[in-house]
Amino acid sequence: MSRSVKKGPYVDSKLMQKVLKQKEIGSSEPIKTWARSCTIIPDFVSHTFMIHNGKIFHKLFVTDDMVGHKLGEFAQTRTFRAHGGVKKKETPHG
Amino acid sequence: MPRIAGNDIPANKRIVIALTYIYGIGKALSQKILKDLNINESVRAKDLHEDQLSMLGAYIEKNFSIEGQLRRQEMQNIVRMKSINCYRGLRHKTGLPVRGQRTRTNARTRKGRKKTVAGKKSVKELG
Repeated sequence: MSRSVKKGPYVDSKLMQKVLKQKEIGSSEPIKTWARSCTIIPDFVSHTFMIHNGKIFHKLFVTDDMVGHKLGEFAQTRTFRAHGGVKKKETPHG
Repeated sequence: MPRIAGNDIPANKRIVIALTYIYGIGKALSQKILKDLNINESVRAKDLHEDQLSMLGAYIEKNFSIEGQLRRQEMQNIVRMKSINCYRGLRHKTGLPVRGQRTRTNARTRKGRKKTVAGKKSVKELG
């Protein structure tokens, strides 16, 4: 079910504060965050985030196109190691 | 065949159904359109007046995107998602289901025909 329009997009309040603070001083240091469910709002554009994927932080520079998506959509939590390929026959050690 | 907004619609069907032959118009939207324009749903498409047809065409073109325009929008959305590398974009790129369906089994529409892998459990059991 999608979120009620009345509430507006979910934005992590602490993260928002940090972004606004950066805006004031005009820095663009990457912001480390665990708030994967936070919606990207226009204020976030051209800021850099380090988004936690459960293990490491993925760096993301936010562009116009990303507005409306969630931060977590840009930091994959799973790694896919390719399937198959021909397995090499084990050579007996001699 | 009557033409509406540059599309042919079948002449011998009720207009509610005939409209759904246009890409981007389903039954619900078709019903809504006819209600808004005060046209009887059950009239056959061939029996509609010229002015009713043009009214329908104008109304649809003004309010909804259909056919080529809609297809283009959809394509653009997918291209956008691919270019920003969001989760849905990645799923489109890899040709896997986009909306969280399981992929352990099924998902054949997206993944294409089965590729049998030798040495997998199910294959061993058969052989």
